[in-house]
Amino acid sequence: MEMTIESGKDTLMSYIMKNCLWQFNSRGWDRQTQNENIIGKATQILCKETTVRKTLADRCYWAEAQQLVNDWECFPWLKKMNTSDIKTMMCKLKETLDYQLITNSLNEELKNPNY
Amino acid sequence: MPYHEFECSQCIPERIKHAVDKTKNDLTEALPLGYLNTIPGTLSERGCAYCGAKHVIGTPMKDVIHLSHGPIGCTYDTWQTKRYISDNDNFQIKYTFASDMKEKNIVFGAEKVLKNNILEAFKAFPKIKRMTIYQTCASALIGDDIGAIANEIMEEMPDVDIFVCNSPGFAGPSQSGGHHKINLAWVNDKVGQVEPKITSDYVINYVGEYNIQGDQQVMQDYFKRMGIQILSTFTGNGSYDDLRAMHRAHLNVLECARSAEYICDELRKRYGIPRMDIDGFGFKPLSSSLRKIGLFFGIEDRANAIIEEETKRWKPELDWYAARLKGKKICLWPGGSKLWHWAHVIHEEMGLEVVSVYTKFGHQGDMEKGISRCEAGALAIDDPNELESLEAMYKLKPDLIVTGKRPGEVAKKIRVPYINAHAYHNGPYKGFEGWVRFARDIYNAVYSPIHKLSLVDISKDKIVTDKSFVTRQMLSDSQLDESILNSKELHEYTGEFDSLKRLRGRKYPQYPMKGKLAAI
Ligand code: SF4
Repeated sequence: MEMTIESGKDTLMSYIMKNCLWQFNSRGWDRQTQNENIIGKATQILCKETTVRKTLADRCYWAEAQQLVNDWECFPWLKKMNTSDIKTMMCKLKETLDYQLITNSLNEELKNPNY
Repeated sequence: MPYHEFECSQCIPERIKHAVDKTKNDLTEALPLGYLNTIPGTLSERGCAYCGAKHVIGTPMKDVIHLSHGPIGCTYDTWQTKRYISDNDNFQIKYTFASDMKEKNIVFGAEKVLKNNILEAFKAFPKIKRMTIYQTCASALIGDDIGAIANEIMEEMPDVDIFVCNSPGFAGPSQSGGHHKINLAWVNDKVGQVEPKITSDYVINYVGEYNIQGDQQVMQDYFKRMGIQILSTFTGNGSYDDLRAMHRAHLNVLECARSAEYICDELRKRYGIPRMDIDGFGFKPLSSSLRKIGLFFGIEDRANAIIEEETKRWKPELDWYAARLKGKKICLWPGGSKLWHWAHVIHEEMGLEVVSVYTKFGHQGDMEKGISRCEAGALAIDDPNELESLEAMYKLKPDLIVTGKRPGEVAKKIRVPYINAHAYHNGPYKGFEGWVRFARDIYNAVYSPIHKLSLVDISKDKIVTDKSFVTRQMLSDSQLDESILNSKELHEYTGEFDSLKRLRGRKYPQYPMKGKLAAI
């Protein structure tokens, strides 16, 4: 099946929503950080760029991202995609995650200032 | 996704926003409300905030006297009705303690009574030097200063340590309020007081795990095989002093985010320990979880070796049940986190169709996870009352509900089999073998011949006399394909009655310490 950037993004989004937990931290700002770091690191891994793993937090984001990319081995179309398309797709993926789970979320606890 | 209106709740219009029919993957259209005060007129089946603090989180700690400061009734649910076992002969479920407040104490105060109770309890169990005390509605309302009494005792008896949890029943809409309070109280009052002995380069806290029928011991086995030191478990099979040393871990591995994300978030903020949410249930989610912990520490090869060995051993048994459970309808109605731990994997690995998910005390975040993970067509309900549960069961006609014992008994009355999601039937359910045990329990429930017999109404139905007794397998195998029936590979569960037996006394590999986290 021919994968476009849009359909590829939808497939990866469905995968994350069904299988992952990191995107559901309970505060909006926390979700923002998780999405940014994990999707950011997954993009770097997919594009074979170096990832920073200096702190424990970095290492945790990286482990989540690396596991995600390993799981995505089941999508052969991803291997054929060029770097520029991967970057565009992952950028849209992050926007969709932010939209679903932060900016347009109906979860009323996201804005609670305390944990 | 439309909100779902129950006919029985038309007279309680506020309820409409508590249920949603999942039609597609879009959480921005509708999301059930959650973690709100129970609406007057609806009979909720939730627990109180004291229950959430003590019975869920505090009491699984194993080397502690757990004392309720209040009337004896609050304590009722503690004595051997929970199944959070431990490896120290189950001290915490064998004995239960309460100050037994009476009317006269409400009038004259109960601080003296409490002090005497504490002394008496320590005297009765001289080897136990740790205690937790829980406030209840009665002691909170009269304003007894439990903290002051605890400090007095600690001054008089320097070898004891006492933790006070001020989470009376009314301190939140449900048990979830108590989870929050005890998480924060523990991190504020106790974490950082003990310096642990570090024996590995890879050190974790295992958080939000309550050792139901041995779940913690199963996961501990995998971690030890990977050479990971579990500094503390919050709180199943956990030790009081180990939990005071939580600040020295490299990673918090979090299972039940509903009850214990607060302490992980605080430890992340105060001590820089990252939080990694995992699933301990189901072959694929558990494998991914072990792998990402392995990745974090740079020891993924050790995780892979365990996954390979365990999958080879247990997958054929899981598949035997999956072939027989395919297409059966299930209502996934646990308390909080299991609705999302199980919603996808029970479908993918056992072939069950999840027709409904609900939560008693979950927040909207739990519903986001549950709705994302279940298939379209499922009915998602927040804190249903008994009539709503009945209406849902009559409409959805599930083959099984997985829930707690109170709603479970209601289901039985209308002849729907149930599995205990909180305390389990024949757990542990975590781990590879545990997942097969869960499948076996589901199979036994769905195909139990008793449900055929109990559906017969002897006042009007025709009683069949020419057929004799049927077995589960006669019922389950009647429609099965020959290739499955004759498979030499697939077979029923062959583990032992006590699956923890082989873990006790097991020798673990010793990995020499390199002195720091290899990857940093
Ligand atoms: S609501 Fe209050 S009185 Fe009732 S069990 Fe809870 S703490 Fe005790």
